[in-house]
Amino acid sequence: MSDKILEVKDLKVEFKTDNGIVTAVNGVNIEVYKGKTLGIVGESGSGKSVTALSIMGLIPSPPGNVAGGEIIYRGKNVLDIPTDEMRTIRGNKIAMIFQEPMTSLNPVFTVGNQIEEVLALHQKELTKQDRKDKVIEMLSLVGIPSPEKRANEYPHQLSGGMRQRVMIAISLACRPDILIADEPTTALDVTIQAQILELMKKLQEEIGMGIIFITHDLGVVAEMCDDVAVMYCGQIVERADVKTLFNRSRHPYTKGLIESIPSFDSTLGETRERLPTIEGMVPSLQNLPTGCNFQDRCDFATDICKGQNGDPLLEKYGSDEHMIRCFNPLS
Amino acid sequence: MNIYTYILRRLLYIFPVIIGVSFLIFILFNVVCPDPTLIMLGKHATPEQMAMLRTELGLDRPLWVQYFDILKSAFTFDFGRSWNTKQEIFQMIKNGAIPSLTFTVPGFIFSTITSLSIAVVVAFYRGKFLDKFFVVICVSMMSISSLAYILFFQWFFAYKLGMFEISGYEDGFPYFIPYVILPIIIWIILSLGYDLRFYRTVMLDEIYQDYVRTARAKGLSERVILFKHVLKNAMIPVITYVVIQIPYLILGALLIENFFGIPGLGSLVVDAINSNDFGVLKAMSILTSLAFIFFNLLSDVLYTMVDPRVRLK
Ligand SMILES: Nc1ncnc2c1ncn2[C@@H]1O[C@H](COP(=O)(O)OP(=O)(O)OP(=O)(O)O)[C@@H](O)[C@H]1O
Ligand SMILES: [Mg+2]
Repeated sequence: MSDKILEVKDLKVEFKTDNGIVTAVNGVNIEVYKGKTLGIVGESGSGKSVTALSIMGLIPSPPGNVAGGEIIYRGKNVLDIPTDEMRTIRGNKIAMIFQEPMTSLNPVFTVGNQIEEVLALHQKELTKQDRKDKVIEMLSLVGIPSPEKRANEYPHQLSGGMRQRVMIAISLACRPDILIADEPTTALDVTIQAQILELMKKLQEEIGMGIIFITHDLGVVAEMCDDVAVMYCGQIVERADVKTLFNRSRHPYTKGLIESIPSFDSTLGETRERLPTIEGMVPSLQNLPTGCNFQDRCDFATDICKGQNGDPLLEKYGSDEHMIRCFNPLS
Repeated sequence: MNIYTYILRRLLYIFPVIIGVSFLIFILFNVVCPDPTLIMLGKHATPEQMAMLRTELGLDRPLWVQYFDILKSAFTFDFGRSWNTKQEIFQMIKNGAIPSLTFTVPGFIFSTITSLSIAVVVAFYRGKFLDKFFVVICVSMMSISSLAYILFFQWFFAYKLGMFEISGYEDGFPYFIPYVILPIIIWIILSLGYDLRFYRTVMLDEIYQDYVRTARAKGLSERVILFKHVLKNAMIPVITYVVIQIPYLILGALLIENFFGIPGLGSLVVDAINSNDFGVLKAMSILTSLAFIFFNLLSDVLYTMVDPRVRLK
């Protein structure tokens, strides 16, 4: 395969809460390759954002704390890098965009100013004029019309979609190796969502960065990603390339997620009365069951899932890079 | 609409407000208030004496003339003479304003700068020891009565240590300095708790905003984030808070002036109340109303200049 830029090994992140310590991420393993997109899917609270913030070194501490594992970026463990050095990577080599385009930009600085700031920080060799030119270049690259005018506007003068484009411009201004996109389109309406996704794919071809694309929308995953990791309660329960995941998913949770995607093409003969959903609720991280975390909601759970032989491990299934964490994989 | 048209428009709005305020003051002093001559002359006064005093004070003129007097004084600052001392009221107020300002202005500036700086530091160390330490200090300072500070400071620093004057005042720089140091320190202590608590809340409100996370993701240092991104946003509520306080500086601090024998505006008002000097009270009401109107306007204008989201319409 192509070159690996980032590898997360057995990442474990804990949060101190009033009810004791919560393990938000528990042994996550992912890999990011140049020019490829890794999707991370999972329900709310499954630890997607926490995984992303750990890679950025931005877990709020307290209450958070990376309790174990390694994050290897170009041969170096990011977790061991001193803060000062980490700042030269953040926003420069590893960049991130967030779910909330409406509030992620600073309301009292112009859009151009906020893009320029990241250039001034990481590309000290640029003159002021170079930076100004680069700001305009970035704004037109992300498809903002009349960039000279827009650069002098404040965030509130832009729509949500435009603001997310500005965020993308900020994150890509230094041509990063890795772009972490944490639900970048969740807050946007569907047509804008499609445009932003299209834009990200186009820019990936140009810049060649690896993308970690976080979402809870499997439809978006099918469109964007090369590989997918499915998370549940802070763990990866299934990981595969996108084709395998959609055609031959083995974990009942993944299967459930895929079946709950609304679709228009498969309904020629049969009309679906109701979209199938996964029954039940995500267990609280404070009292996870012993054994498989998904057992209470799983139609295929047997005694072994209750943990008499320990917790399920993430193991290779079949010959390829397909990994699952399940005692009773679907066939 | 640009900022100048906005300011001009707001200045024009001032006129109806002044007309309303002076009308209220007129109602209070000249209509609702019982016959002041009765209070001033006592119950044994003859009707002739009362009529004479009324003529002297101009209370026998038609009401609309009396109202017009008040309205006019809001623009000319000509408030007539004191009912008690017969001095020019404007002169009395001018003389009183200076002693008040000699301790309220330094007190205000120091307490604002100190509490704002501590708030920035505290925001940096939020949730850690230093933060908790200052929260405790704030609460304790706010829980102690101002009287306790005044009496203790007078007893300890002025009486026991003899470092400053216990009370009194001398006009002119630098003679007033030994008299105002203790009042300044007490003013700072009295406002520090409230100021610090307010500024800390403002800073902490900002520090958990999404744009701060973005700034971190850019690789900016905590210092730049705090002093550039957070502080500029925090300035919006801070400016309002600071500017709105200014009229109180002009009013002086009643309690402090009384205990330290400073002949400021606070003392002027107290004396006027004690001697039924309605002329002075009316003038002070008009002036403080004007001060509030003006500084409200100023804070609105500054607000539109700092916050780009405010649309001028
Ligand atoms: N600042 C925090 N303090 C305490 N607990 C936290 C904090 N941030 C995250 N957590 C814990 O980590 C868990 C996972 O959170 P995370 O934000 O990673 O979820 P997510 O998968 O991104 O969900 P969503 O789809 O809603 O964004 C949460 O359920 C919460 O218990
Ligand atoms: Mg999230």
